[in-house]
Amino acid sequence: MTLAIDPRAELSRKHRKVARFATVAALASLGMGFAAVPLYRMFCQATGYGGTTMRVSADTKTVPVAGKLMSIRFDSNVTPGMPWDFYPEHKTDTVTVGARDMAIFIARNMSDKPITGTATFNVTPEEAGAYFSKIQCFCFTQQTLKPGEEIRMPVLYFVDPKILNDPDAKKIQEITLSYTFYPVEQDAKQR
Amino acid sequence: MKMVKSLILAGLLAFAPAVAMSQDAFAQDNAAAAANATAPVADSAAAPAAAAPAEKVAAPARMRPTEGIGMPRPGEITLQEQFSPTGRQGRWIHDSLLLPIITVISLFVLGLMLYAMVRFRRAANPVPSKTSHNTVIEIIWTVVPVIILLVIAVPSISLIAEQYKPAPKNALTVKVTGYQWYWGYEYPDQGIPEFVSNMQTPEKALANGEPYLLSPDNRLVLPVGRPVKLIITGADVIHSFAVPSLWVKMDAVPGRLNEKSFTIEKPGVYYGQCSELCGARHGFMPIAIEALPPAQFDQWVRSQGGDPAGKGGAAATAAAAADSAAAPAKI
Amino acid sequence: MTTIVADAHGAHDAHDHHDADHKPAFFQRWFMSTNHKDIGTLYLIFAIIAGIIGGAISGLMRAELAQPGIQYLHTWAMMSDGPDATMDQAYHLWNVLITAHGLIMVFFMVMPAMIGGFGNWFVPIMIGAPDMAFPRMNNISFWLLIPAFALLLGSTFVPGGTGNGAGTGWTVYAPLSTSGSAGPAVDLAILSLHIAGASSILGAVNFITTIFNMRAPGMTLHKMPLFVWSVLVTAFLLLLALPVLAAAITMLLTDRNFGTTFYDAAGGGDPELYQHLFWFFGHPEVYIMILPGFGIVSQIISTFSRKPIFGYLGMAYAMVAIGVVGFVVWAHHMFTTGMSVNVKMYFTAATMVIAVPTGIKIFSWIATMWGGSMTYKTPMVWALGFIFMFTVGGVTGVVLANGGVDDVMHDTYYVVAHFHYVLSLGAVFGLFAGFYYWFPKMSGKMYNEFLGQLHFWVFFIGVNVLFFPMHFLGLSGMPRRYPDYPEAFAYWNAVASHGYEIMAAGMGVFFINLIWSLIAGKKADANPWGEGATTLEWTLSSPPPFHQFETLPQID
Repeated sequence: MTLAIDPRAELSRKHRKVARFATVAALASLGMGFAAVPLYRMFCQATGYGGTTMRVSADTKTVPVAGKLMSIRFDSNVTPGMPWDFYPEHKTDTVTVGARDMAIFIARNMSDKPITGTATFNVTPEEAGAYFSKIQCFCFTQQTLKPGEEIRMPVLYFVDPKILNDPDAKKIQEITLSYTFYPVEQDAKQR
Repeated sequence: MKMVKSLILAGLLAFAPAVAMSQDAFAQDNAAAAANATAPVADSAAAPAAAAPAEKVAAPARMRPTEGIGMPRPGEITLQEQFSPTGRQGRWIHDSLLLPIITVISLFVLGLMLYAMVRFRRAANPVPSKTSHNTVIEIIWTVVPVIILLVIAVPSISLIAEQYKPAPKNALTVKVTGYQWYWGYEYPDQGIPEFVSNMQTPEKALANGEPYLLSPDNRLVLPVGRPVKLIITGADVIHSFAVPSLWVKMDAVPGRLNEKSFTIEKPGVYYGQCSELCGARHGFMPIAIEALPPAQFDQWVRSQGGDPAGKGGAAATAAAAADSAAAPAKI
Repeated sequence: MTTIVADAHGAHDAHDHHDADHKPAFFQRWFMSTNHKDIGTLYLIFAIIAGIIGGAISGLMRAELAQPGIQYLHTWAMMSDGPDATMDQAYHLWNVLITAHGLIMVFFMVMPAMIGGFGNWFVPIMIGAPDMAFPRMNNISFWLLIPAFALLLGSTFVPGGTGNGAGTGWTVYAPLSTSGSAGPAVDLAILSLHIAGASSILGAVNFITTIFNMRAPGMTLHKMPLFVWSVLVTAFLLLLALPVLAAAITMLLTDRNFGTTFYDAAGGGDPELYQHLFWFFGHPEVYIMILPGFGIVSQIISTFSRKPIFGYLGMAYAMVAIGVVGFVVWAHHMFTTGMSVNVKMYFTAATMVIAVPTGIKIFSWIATMWGGSMTYKTPMVWALGFIFMFTVGGVTGVVLANGGVDDVMHDTYYVVAHFHYVLSLGAVFGLFAGFYYWFPKMSGKMYNEFLGQLHFWVFFIGVNVLFFPMHFLGLSGMPRRYPDYPEAFAYWNAVASHGYEIMAAGMGVFFINLIWSLIAGKKADANPWGEGATTLEWTLSSPPPFHQFETLPQID
């Protein structure tokens, strides 16, 4: 039993060093867990993962590709319990790839209270997300409807001609654009 | 007590055409479901006219399921018989490729082990060797599995590509929504609004000659031979729309749409069950697809007040059917 | 090398720090323990208790599933939710049972036994260290498990939506676990996971530090026994995977209670994000459960073949490879969520890669046996059972890895069969192998060989009768997490339930053996296994002195 003070202090110093390193790794991992929220969103927005549509500014140049047509289907949902009627004016539309087009969705507040709603969206097939560009959309902002009020909401979009060069996405015949409306003031504790 | 009650109910059902009554009993059971239902609950067999008062077209008679087709067979030990091209391809990959390979690998490992256990037991081999390396054999057992995996990977990657091919232009689109705990079906192009599909009570299923827990009241009616594109979403929590005999499984996620396309090759009733835990009655929201020949499908659409000639209607159905008959899918 | 004879009268009051077997008083020793062996024992006792509870729950499940129809569930619901429990509450109780079974077996049985129990007991000894690097933290790690387990068990008595308890499945998917489960039960279950996770992370830090800093002179990384390697890799997986789970379930808690919308589409969140985070943790988690088993089996095969392990470096780095690749395959659990074709292809291919290092391990074990001089004592029989059963579970994993095939397999009993083959027949066989292997060392008593062999054979037959038919059920389409099923599934479900009865009988033999051996077992030698047992624990007395290696051993 000749453990001198020094080697012991040295050992516990080494222990603390490794432990500190391990703790930092664990904390970094924890941080990555939380950072995944914005990173995942950015990843989806950048790659169209999960059918996330692209958002482009109004002055984006669009060049229609003559003869290349794409069918667009519009799908609408309202979360159960939200007293809104919400549907696309036309269920489907055929557009020229690259050409700007406008679709109209109609929403009506069926209740006797003003209700603010916001819409989530995606497109299917997933591969189309990267090529479905929205210039203007009611889903970018919240919508408030007075009791009984009906509004017509535009979506200005185009299908990016780059879709024709994507070996997977170019086989797509029809893109479905789907919205789901949720009330904004939905109180989390009101379940 | 419950037992007695259900026996009495079953007795009543047997003696009276009390379809409506069981409907009541069922609705009671599913009070929450009924309250949420936005569309009239029309039983395709019992009350075809309810949805279409103007055009009095009778729905085709409710198809009776064939025992063992589109549903599990008693004591079955392998995949259900498949009725879609991807299903047959997938089943082929499992039955003719994966299953033999994994069986051979397992038996090979077992054989090696048993041989070693006998050959190198202490009595037979009292002095152990001291070998602990052999580069050649280590390389072999790294490379051979890689080759086997490549053999598996090529067809299975092509299966993925095949099964997620985007739907063709003439596909019939049906919207499927998962609710706690029932399914809703809507035919946007035919103008058939959403109707809901609840599980049948044991008595009703028995009376109809359908398997309890697999059979809902209203079926998802689809045409044979024409590609179908389901667009699927969930209303409350995640559900999963699954029909094993068509090789179909796709999650129904709230706030997001998924799509899944397939073609049914034969008329029949194909059953499935919700395949993502969605709460208490997860096990009690079955799925049934009734696949009809094109003409009968159009008749059904009309009976629901829909227009078969909606986008890609009757003509398309018939044409697609002819197509698939002329060129049977590969494998 | 120190050879110290166990002092039968250890509790004398001499303040002699040089007495290696000086044990503190009962309370001090077991409640404020800083001794790695005592803490290991506590972990093992805890894991056995949790295993009895988790196993009993699976017994309830198999009883209910023995026949089609609802047999007992409604009666049980009346016990847990009051006499006027509805059928929905009965169905909810089912979900509570599956959730509890999964969480208990993963977090409170396998992990504490493998890492806390055997890891604590033998990692320091095998590397020639006197104790763990942070003995007090080690104690905290253990005692955190108690409130964690209490919270999980407690959650079954408070409302969790339709009925009492958390009925979300062990995966706790949003939105079923957020808007779909009102009441505090899910909150308690999540807190339980937080605490159990914190316990494991502290343990991981402790193991990493111990293995890096406290190896005896000459014990290089490349001379460490494979069990130590396996715990080292496991510790890194814990360290990197568990915090992600912690983050994921923290966001579940805030979504549930503070109105955030990380996973709620209504506020721009995405429920799929939870699944990504969960499985980023969840897939490494399955390796966390199985890797120490690999380590245990490696020691045992080598010992009873009287041969050094074949391809030692390949074995060690195969585990590292499994650990690393395990982090990039998670989305194969999510093939049906609606992923693009390319993503599915990637995860299919990446998942299959794992079969390669796993194959290296299987073949290296067989090569270790090859040319050996084998005896078939109980630990060896369990280890051999492990190799074959893990192979069967592994190859069905290759089937499931195929994104295209998974469309029909996902969330069916095929998946249940697969992960029970790798866990219930893999990890658990590893646990029993280790338990019989080290029982003489830990207790100083020999187990009963006949009962040990009997336990193996009854258990082996039982679990195979129990889980093999689940492949058939899954192939013919029976979904998981169902309390009732159509008539067509009746046959194999009945068979499986009989399998449970056989397995339970096997467990009975185990407990008889355990009690009998503790009371009347023959005294164990320092090394009961002979010349094949070369690791350091066999150089110490059985049981080892309270403090070992006060003079560090020299490894050449």
